[in-house]
Amino acid sequence: MKITVSINLGGFSFNIDEDAYAELKRYLKNLELHFAGEESSSEILSDIESRMSELFRSKLTSYKQVINIGDVSDVISIMGNPADFSDNDGPSPKEKFSTPGAHRMYRDPDKRIIGGVCAGMGAYWDIEPWIIRGIFIALVMAGGLGVLVYLILYVVLPEAKTTAQKIEMKGDPVNIHNIKDSVKKEFDTVRKNMKL
Amino acid sequence: MDLENTKAQMRKGILEYCILSVLSKNSCYASDIIKELKEAKVIVVEGTLYPLLTRQKNGGLLSYRWEESQQGPPRKYYELTTEGREYLADLDNSWEELVESVKLIRKK
Repeated sequence: MKITVSINLGGFSFNIDEDAYAELKRYLKNLELHFAGEESSSEILSDIESRMSELFRSKLTSYKQVINIGDVSDVISIMGNPADFSDNDGPSPKEKFSTPGAHRMYRDPDKRIIGGVCAGMGAYWDIEPWIIRGIFIALVMAGGLGVLVYLILYVVLPEAKTTAQKIEMKGDPVNIHNIKDSVKKEFDTVRKNMKL
Repeated sequence: MDLENTKAQMRKGILEYCILSVLSKNSCYASDIIKELKEAKVIVVEGTLYPLLTRQKNGGLLSYRWEESQQGPPRKYYELTTEGREYLADLDNSWEELVESVKLIRKK
């Protein structure tokens, strides 16, 4: 005996084994992260869900009414994992797809004074950006080297645009809960600013 | 050298062209397109198709309409826009050129 879960996929309701459900959920989360940087990512995801729903329906008969882990693995192998379909014309997979726990340096557009370089370095090392700004200002005073270094870093470091990238910048593991927290934080900040 | 990777890169390069070619004959919904692409062995995993379709639609090459279906929920039927047809004609030409170039090089 197994416990089943009832899900809605592409407008159809399915009964699915608990272990199969966990696997499906993991897969869909991965896709969501993969397409996070893409324009109309929700449209792509809903197209994929519709297709998966179609594939699952073809696996059900009057004798077999529950989706099991084998069905989920089959459908995933038909659809492919994000690594299989990262393509050339979009942003490179490294840029848009963050592996969980990755820690990369970005420019931080939210706390920037000029280009967000110091703010990004501060977020990366978890130190106050003004310490880094102080070092840069000292370098500029000492002969202008600071300007050059700043410009190079500005060009080299990508801006943290997506929520996934902002989490990567701080080095927390990227998962749906983090993204939710971070989005919520942004909302709270906006709300606070509105009140002021 | 990774042969499989090289092959995959080749397929990816022509996939966009193949999608437009499939749609130039008549409007299709995603699963029809997949069927044709799979028969022609230009696609391995289906997930590759959806971001491309959405990107082509956003780029003005494709449009879609919802159509009722007897087997399930309404389906998205894609078709080429006028811009898409022009784009495809351009790709047709460059494909011919590529084939000629490769032929020429292999003959020498």
